[in-house]
Amino acid sequence: MSTHTNEPHDQAHGEDHEEWDVHAHISDTKFLVGIFSALIVLTIITVAVSRVDLGSANTFVAMLVATVKAGLVATFFMHLRHEKPFNTVIFISAFVFLGVFIFFTLDDLSTRGRIDPSNGVTVYARNGEAAPGGFTPIVTPEHGATGAHGAAAADHAAPAAGHDAPAAPAHH
Amino acid sequence: MSTASSTEHAAASHGHEHPKWLAHHFDSPAQQFDTAKLGMWIFICTEILMFGGLFVAYAIFRGQEPQMFHQAHEHLNWRLGAVNTIVLLFSSLTAALSVRQSQVGDRKGTSRYLVLTLLCAFGFLCIKYLEYTAKLDHGLLPGRCFGHPWFGDHCVGGGAAVLPAAVHGLSTRAHMFFAIYFMMTGLHGVHVLVGIGVLSWVLMRNMRGDFSKGYFTAVEIGALYWHLVDLVWIYLFPLLYLVG
Repeated sequence: MSTHTNEPHDQAHGEDHEEWDVHAHISDTKFLVGIFSALIVLTIITVAVSRVDLGSANTFVAMLVATVKAGLVATFFMHLRHEKPFNTVIFISAFVFLGVFIFFTLDDLSTRGRIDPSNGVTVYARNGEAAPGGFTPIVTPEHGATGAHGAAAADHAAPAAGHDAPAAPAHH
Repeated sequence: MSTASSTEHAAASHGHEHPKWLAHHFDSPAQQFDTAKLGMWIFICTEILMFGGLFVAYAIFRGQEPQMFHQAHEHLNWRLGAVNTIVLLFSSLTAALSVRQSQVGDRKGTSRYLVLTLLCAFGFLCIKYLEYTAKLDHGLLPGRCFGHPWFGDHCVGGGAAVLPAAVHGLSTRAHMFFAIYFMMTGLHGVHVLVGIGVLSWVLMRNMRGDFSKGYFTAVEIGALYWHLVDLVWIYLFPLLYLVG
């Protein structure tokens, strides 16, 4: 009935092709519950995979599963599937720019020189040549306990007691 | 299309009598709805980039000290993290269902699902509270007293360079992991609080009868915000609780 009465109006205003009423896709309840179940299964997979030692692949798998989960939430819970494509473009662009942010920051840090503690100059770690920029390598207990103890500890700003603590737990 | 809606349609088109919730600078409800969603998606973009800064910090420090990250993450309770993941995923489902019920004009159903979502939000914060107090108790709050229980007098005078037995095995550098942990989950927790505010407002308006089949913008936008909170947590959980 409504379609019939509306038609003459639509033809009369033929230049206006925009929809008047809101026509959003209505998701099926069972379908949404299904998506939720998939998200729970993926959560269990994430936890299960983290129990297995795959080396550096662990992080990759965890991020892959998280991205699939995020994709399900965005596509179906947030209705991107039935949304105007431009909204999806906006959403994806956030991740593109996040990628730019992460890539250039990590690229900068990994190609900077390191401070040579004995000579006080900035060098490339791989060949010892002079390099621009630079930062002090972080002293981990592993480094502190094994080699290069004096030099590594000396150029680190934290109090010396901090480095000795893990080696001498009887302090308390 | 319902009779009421088609009457509204006819009246509005011919006599330019717009529904009272249609702002005068929009041509049609559809345009108003699409504009609201466009604005929300741009806002979601800025939110992702705000969290992005913390994700970059995470990537840098984990890249530099992978063993420290692995050691430190074992002091987090992954079981509580997993429970919270399920709580948030479920709340995301109920948020999506509240939008659905609103679309079909079921006001009571919308309210019911919004209340469920809010309960999950409070549940999430309660579990977070348990986790945070345990961390403080174990002396894992970064800062002057790192290594000393927050609720005690062990840190008088500060300058705590020695880790007590409770966190034995952790390097003093572990404060970086916990700084990132508290910042990321803290910022996320603030979003949960804001989400509670937004959804309570939507619930209040729904109970007042503001929404109909033709107008449910606030329910949709509020739910989008809540899904974003879920989206961020989907990444936080494996990155913080399940460090390989």
